[in-house]
Amino acid sequence: MRILQVSEFIEVVNIVLKESFGNEEIGVEGEVSGFRISQGQWVSFDLKDDKALVNVFLPVWNLRVPVEDGFRVRVIGLPRVYPKYGKFSLSAERIELAGEGALKKALALLRARLEKEGIFDSSRKRELPRFPQRIALVASRESAAYGDFIRILSERWGGIEIDLYHVLVQGERAPQDIVHAIQTAQLKDYDALVMTRGGGSLEELMAFNDEQVVRTVYASKIPTLVAIGHERDMTLAEEAADVRASTPTDCARRLAPDRRDVQYELSTLLSGVEARFGRVLEDRRNILEHALNSPVLWLSSKRAALSEMRQACDTGVKQWLNVLRERLESRTRLLASLDPKAVLRRGYALVRDTAGKGIVSVATLKVGQSVSLVLQDGEAETRILKTTRKTDQASISRQVIDLSNNNLKLF
Amino acid sequence: MPKKETKKIDVAKSFEELEALADWFEKGDGDLDQGLQKFEKAMEIADALRKRLDEAENKVKEIKERFGGE
Repeated sequence: MRILQVSEFIEVVNIVLKESFGNEEIGVEGEVSGFRISQGQWVSFDLKDDKALVNVFLPVWNLRVPVEDGFRVRVIGLPRVYPKYGKFSLSAERIELAGEGALKKALALLRARLEKEGIFDSSRKRELPRFPQRIALVASRESAAYGDFIRILSERWGGIEIDLYHVLVQGERAPQDIVHAIQTAQLKDYDALVMTRGGGSLEELMAFNDEQVVRTVYASKIPTLVAIGHERDMTLAEEAADVRASTPTDCARRLAPDRRDVQYELSTLLSGVEARFGRVLEDRRNILEHALNSPVLWLSSKRAALSEMRQACDTGVKQWLNVLRERLESRTRLLASLDPKAVLRRGYALVRDTAGKGIVSVATLKVGQSVSLVLQDGEAETRILKTTRKTDQASISRQVIDLSNNNLKLF
Repeated sequence: MPKKETKKIDVAKSFEELEALADWFEKGDGDLDQGLQKFEKAMEIADALRKRLDEAENKVKEIKERFGGE
């Protein structure tokens, strides 16, 4: 018989227990009951099925998924007797949620808790720069998502420096990989941190619902853009990101503008500048032209005024001349009517003495005196036979008529 | 120095600059010489931006540090 101390006994039992399962990892599935956390660091609960029950024990940092009573979980670990209390338990290295239902339930719980903390607050979302120059890309180099993202991005925009942080995007180690990548990226100066992965089952996408991953995304000082799975998939990491894209393709669209759009914008902006500059030039030209034209205009206006004045003068002079002419004509008519020759033409005669002096009274005439009679077409000399004063005018005229034709002389 | 700028211009800043120039012209006053200078500057920026737009390649560099692995 071997005599062993208690501690030695427990040690042997534990070795046997461990070896009995070989090197293979074992997972035990069952339903959680009596879940509790003591001293903020130890988690314990009972894992049971219809027929049996085993106590599960683990440090709280090994618990990466939210667990509640009634959850169906898979506990990965080793059977062990805890020396101090001699209590048999399943010592868990990690716990996974078993089945879609449990995953969803756990997710809802975690989501509610993080939401309460403000992790998803829209008020703290930052905008991505419009033209990123340098980005960190957290993705799997082998994934279709990575290829799609790079292809679409290159179609849209060029010249971006992309640092690829290749990570596992599913499986047990994915969360710590992703956390490490995001944290490492913080040390560099990026315009954006992009994280993407293609579609998958809820279980495959679980790394992006991991609490640590979500918190790391939340804590990133680089603006984050996260696109996980298809349109309908929504992970907590996406909700915590500054910008969420539905797919890797959409992710590229949200990260960089399309160069055609930018080209169009550029040309619009430029033609605006050209047009406006043209207007500035035009304004200057107008001012210059105006400056050049105004003396010319002034001159021509003066010239116009001058010619107007001259015209006015011309008309004035013409009118004045007309008036003069009319006056002259009327005077001429008047004078013509007074012309003694006209009287002679009517048959009157002018009587002159030999000295040529006109005789207007019989009183100056003597009988026998020679006088000349001036008629319209000549002169005649005659002698006075008799004179009679005014009282017998008729007889004067009669006596004067005695003219000698041979003395006629042309005027 | 302008050579360097065309090689690696900040697209966002260049756009801002161009917009500021456009605004300046919008106001329409100011000195003609200044206007000419600004117009020249606008053309320069636009040219650099166009060149930048023609860049087709994005450069991917894998960060050597291992993040887990296969």
